[in-house]
Amino acid sequence: MDTVSLLMQGFSTALTLSNLLWALFGCALGTAVGVLPGIGPATTVAMLLPITAKVDITASMIFFAGIYYGAMYGGSTTSILLNTPGETASMVTAMEGNKMAKNGRAGAALATAAIGSFVAGSIATVVVTLFAPVVADYAVKLGPPEYFLLMVLAFTTVSAVLGKSTVRGLTALFIGLAVGLIGMDQISGQPRYTGGKAEFLDGIEIVLVAVGLFAVAEVLHAVLFEGKIVETQNTLTRVHMSARDWRRSVPAWLRGAAIGSPFGCIPAGGTEIPTFLSYATEKKLAKGEDQAEFGTTGAIEGVAGPEAANNATVTTALIPLLTLGIPTSNTTAILLGAFQNYGIQPGPQLFATSAALVWALIASLYIGNVMLLVLNLPMVGLWVKLLKIPKPQLYAGILIFATVGAYGMRQSTFDLFLLYVIGAIGVVMRRFDFPTAPVVVGMILGPLAEAQLRNAMSIGEGKWTVFVDRPVSIFLILVIAAVLVLPRLMKRRAAAQA
Amino acid sequence: MTSPQPNLPPELRPDHPAPAHPSRKTLLWETLVSGAVIAVGAAMAYGAKDIPSEAGYGGVGANFLPWMVAIALMVCGALLLREARTGGYRNMEEAEGDERPDWMGFVWVSAGLLLNAALIEHIGFILSCALTYVLAVQGLKRAFGKPHDTWLTDTIAGVVLAAPVFWLFTKFLAINLPGLTASGWI
Repeated sequence: MDTVSLLMQGFSTALTLSNLLWALFGCALGTAVGVLPGIGPATTVAMLLPITAKVDITASMIFFAGIYYGAMYGGSTTSILLNTPGETASMVTAMEGNKMAKNGRAGAALATAAIGSFVAGSIATVVVTLFAPVVADYAVKLGPPEYFLLMVLAFTTVSAVLGKSTVRGLTALFIGLAVGLIGMDQISGQPRYTGGKAEFLDGIEIVLVAVGLFAVAEVLHAVLFEGKIVETQNTLTRVHMSARDWRRSVPAWLRGAAIGSPFGCIPAGGTEIPTFLSYATEKKLAKGEDQAEFGTTGAIEGVAGPEAANNATVTTALIPLLTLGIPTSNTTAILLGAFQNYGIQPGPQLFATSAALVWALIASLYIGNVMLLVLNLPMVGLWVKLLKIPKPQLYAGILIFATVGAYGMRQSTFDLFLLYVIGAIGVVMRRFDFPTAPVVVGMILGPLAEAQLRNAMSIGEGKWTVFVDRPVSIFLILVIAAVLVLPRLMKRRAAAQA
Repeated sequence: MTSPQPNLPPELRPDHPAPAHPSRKTLLWETLVSGAVIAVGAAMAYGAKDIPSEAGYGGVGANFLPWMVAIALMVCGALLLREARTGGYRNMEEAEGDERPDWMGFVWVSAGLLLNAALIEHIGFILSCALTYVLAVQGLKRAFGKPHDTWLTDTIAGVVLAAPVFWLFTKFLAINLPGLTASGWI
């Protein structure tokens, strides 16, 4: 069947009343957690993973996907209105968005962020529609050696390239791999690192690690260190863009989408590079008084471009997730965990074996983007009210939901104690600037990578040369070497010039 | 911050040197964290010893990755230790908030979380979570320097939050959460 009719079938599944409600609920919840400080899409999806035991897979994946990209819309609202930028993804938006808001242009900044997210999200969804099946067709031909190397590429970029320190990134990655080792080895059935405890045989639940590292650690960090931070909020103005704003935003959205989309497609992860590239591009292309606004009163292109790039990257990141089974961020790693809860392994076969699910999910992306535009433009004032919730009450409330996620997964109080320990480790990691994404990605992808490695070695009959036998794997090794070496060379050159 | 482009994400700045003067306490902590990483690596190695190396004809068995992770963690820990002993961790994000942790608040929140784990199967989800909420909100209010003579409202808020969450997840999503009675409502 061709793509169009598959997509139409997807729409007919996604447009049923119950699935529409799941999408709407997901988008609204996603926007809310995006706006709220202290809780993000990864935490939210992780806390809700227990619902996979009862809710049908199509509904829950539509729901989770809604949370995933809804949070991107909500996150920009917070980064524009609050003077304390949150996650790195919205950091670039905050640079110009904050300045615009301080100069009474919060409404225009919010509008260009929301419409830009919609435009870029929709373009990127078209990219997913067109390219995901092609990638899946191609990926079927890859063998274990290539898969293993693709996973190594994901590990490398997530840990060694994106962070501020290679050593701390790698430490986090190996901690994640270590956690992933706990439990029964899936090839030999050998228990590893269980210490004879039955609780450890099934491994450590992803919910625990994600909720502990993000939610509990966030609350503990807040109580320990954030008591004296004074937060200021910019006033919301009418959400409206002038003709000049439109003229400046439209090209920036399109450029942002063009920059962001390819970055999501490669299993490398991170929205920092595309958003920053988009920012730099806009700053360079702006002329005259537009350029003078950069860094002073706030230039609208500096919000429009990076926001579009961010959403495009986040959307096309679903391509490596669905077609290769490779997640490159906290949230996509947890989405992979959700698939696994249903006994489904995303990968090239997914498009053949679960076509109805995949296409319903893709169709729901189109629908969700429209919903989010409506939720975020006329109703933005409503979401901003969420910022009025006092922090103590908000953080204490998060702990209730953390309990649902951690306990609901397998009804074990042991898990609740473990949750606290992981939370404490999370505080230390945050304090000493260890990234968390490598832990989560390492923990989820580690066992899969190990299986591919051992399969590859069996194919190669014990010879490591199996990794250089085929052109694709040689190419992947070169790519891995390049992502390791190039950024360092560029930094050194930049340092030499400075 | 004295950086000429304070808004630039640190990873995109040209190589950033170590912060000028991390405090002695910070350095001590960094040494401890590095030591902990080495210790985890050593523990992984100790555990890897007992995993059979039976590898079939692939040559890579169940103990390969454990050994690799163990060695990698020990190497990373050693590198971190060297950084800690030679001026502190490199390229650090400026620490947010207070230099001095508020341990009292931490104890309140910790008590909330640990009591929850200990009590949830005895007094049920709603009461246990309400207790967690009250203790956590009290600790946070103290840490944030807010009035905390609010036991009654906090308790009511805790129950009002926990009860609908319990009903939502047990009734609509069929997730098993412990109740105090078998009625399913508390």
